[in-house]
Amino acid sequence: MTPDTSFLPDPVIEAFKKDVDRTLIRENLKLSVDDRFRQLMKLQEFAEALRAAGRERSRTS
Amino acid sequence: MTDFSGLLRALAEAGVEFILVGGAAATAHGSARLTLDVDVVYRRTPENLGRLVASLAAHRPYLRGAPAGLPFRWATDTLQRGLNFTLITALGPIDLLGEIAGGGTYEELVVDTELLRIFGVDCRCLSLDRLIAVKRAAGRPRDLEAVAELEAIAEERKR
Repeated sequence: MTPDTSFLPDPVIEAFKKDVDRTLIRENLKLSVDDRFRQLMKLQEFAEALRAAGRERSRTS
Repeated sequence: MTDFSGLLRALAEAGVEFILVGGAAATAHGSARLTLDVDVVYRRTPENLGRLVASLAAHRPYLRGAPAGLPFRWATDTLQRGLNFTLITALGPIDLLGEIAGGGTYEELVVDTELLRIFGVDCRCLSLDRLIAVKRAAGRPRDLEAVAELEAIAEERKR
């Protein structure tokens, strides 16, 4: 049986929700599903570049 | 970088019965959060285990984070003996889940899926509402931000 997926607001989640950037969500919802994944892969590349820069800095300092 | 297209294509083209869950499902629904792996709930029938093994065999699956050289065999009997497998492959990390906390098995989840075409292949993806319900039920503190974003997506969709 499918569980009831309607839920009451949870005060903890509501508190976290205040910090959600809805402009990013609205932009994402305009994209196709493929483009959402392409954007995720770009974000992964960026995160990896930042990690590599951090490693390099640790190595040379 | 995770080859989401390659992983989903490998599973779908082999006819694996699976449901996209977790961060990748959230991405499909519009999440802007970074996720590094593909989480799927797979159906644990003998036929599907065979398809799953065939689908990833060429991509050298191995236990993620485990030391090299363990006697890990990518085979149906390995899948039969376990349930959830956290793997690294040549295409990127993938978690193969026989069931998920707060959600259950493939059979329990499949009623709440949407068929999405992703990179040219049809993939069953857990619905946004069920994804929220599962993450809420799992009750992991690290999921709170993700749940908040998913609920915000649901609200934005209704606007």
